[in-house]
Amino acid sequence: MTLSGYEALFFWIFALAAIFAGLLTVMARNAVHSALFLISSLVSVAALFVLARAEFIAGVQILVYVGGVMVLFLFVIMLVNVGAEERGTEQIFNKSRQVTTSLIFCLLLAGALLFAVNRGYVGLQRLRPIPETTGEQRAARDAVHAIGGTGSSRITKDAEGLGNSLYRYASLPFEIASVLLLVAIIGSVMLARTLRQEASADDVDPDTLKVEAVNDPELAKLEPRSE
Amino acid sequence: MLNFFSPALLLLLQEETSRFAQMKQAAFNPDLSKFLVIGALLFIIGVAGVLTRRNIIVIFMSIELILNAANLNFIAFSRYLTETGSPNALAGQIFSVFVIVVAAAEAAIGLGIVIALYRNKETIWVDEIDLLKW
Repeated sequence: MTLSGYEALFFWIFALAAIFAGLLTVMARNAVHSALFLISSLVSVAALFVLARAEFIAGVQILVYVGGVMVLFLFVIMLVNVGAEERGTEQIFNKSRQVTTSLIFCLLLAGALLFAVNRGYVGLQRLRPIPETTGEQRAARDAVHAIGGTGSSRITKDAEGLGNSLYRYASLPFEIASVLLLVAIIGSVMLARTLRQEASADDVDPDTLKVEAVNDPELAKLEPRSE
Repeated sequence: MLNFFSPALLLLLQEETSRFAQMKQAAFNPDLSKFLVIGALLFIIGVAGVLTRRNIIVIFMSIELILNAANLNFIAFSRYLTETGSPNALAGQIFSVFVIVVAAAEAAIGLGIVIALYRNKETIWVDEIDLLKW
């Protein structure tokens, strides 16, 4: 699966962009800057997905991550952030001993992973070798696909194949995933409610409500709907 | 003297330059191992973020980075297996769909927890959230 020509050039551009944006995500002082750098890292990784011929996953990545998850992150940052980070008075990293230890751990992890990738790739090539294909064979394989709107590229059948195998071989996990998302929605709504909202839905222990009503006059005004 | 040797020298030089060009080509053209290396680096950046940062929201973002690195590996292996002609090569892409689903659910729940925590403790620094520490 060697990429060549412009694909190789774009691979390196997007790979460097993903790694630099990832580093800046971790190192930025302001949490909003972190979120924006994470968005650019995710978009670069989506471009790498396109280079690996996974167009559908790239689209899902941009829609779900950049469109959904990151907007949620930005909302929570704006709800929660106290602005101490921007003033530069707060330390953004842990104590220096913790940081040193974890960086040493990360370097060891990096060495181990790079070693494992190098050794494992040689073994994988021996176990499952890619059959040699000539340029004509590749062109014949690509000629099956329809020509794209610009006329200079072809539309692969990635989304079609993925949909087929998703519903054919993974339909039960697919349904479980939708239940998981439902649970996540309900759970986050339950977690984010205030005591006042819980009291107005009559969802609090009356004794707790009595104790809290001393501190919060608004709570005392709420009439418990049932006893 | 130089004219006498020059054809052999030229041949040697040509051979060396072509070998060097091939090596350069092999290093520049990314294959599966380059994708895996990029994935590993993103993973390590995420781990470093989780271990070193104090802001709980940035820790969540680092977790997203880690999950994304895993996705990159799945996609790269899927592409490799497609080229070897494996019948279930799309399994990697299916799995990465599920990873994205789990990441979205995790972000929703985690941020709900952050909001509840901020309402009760008035802090987002993880070293000040030490209720379970003795």
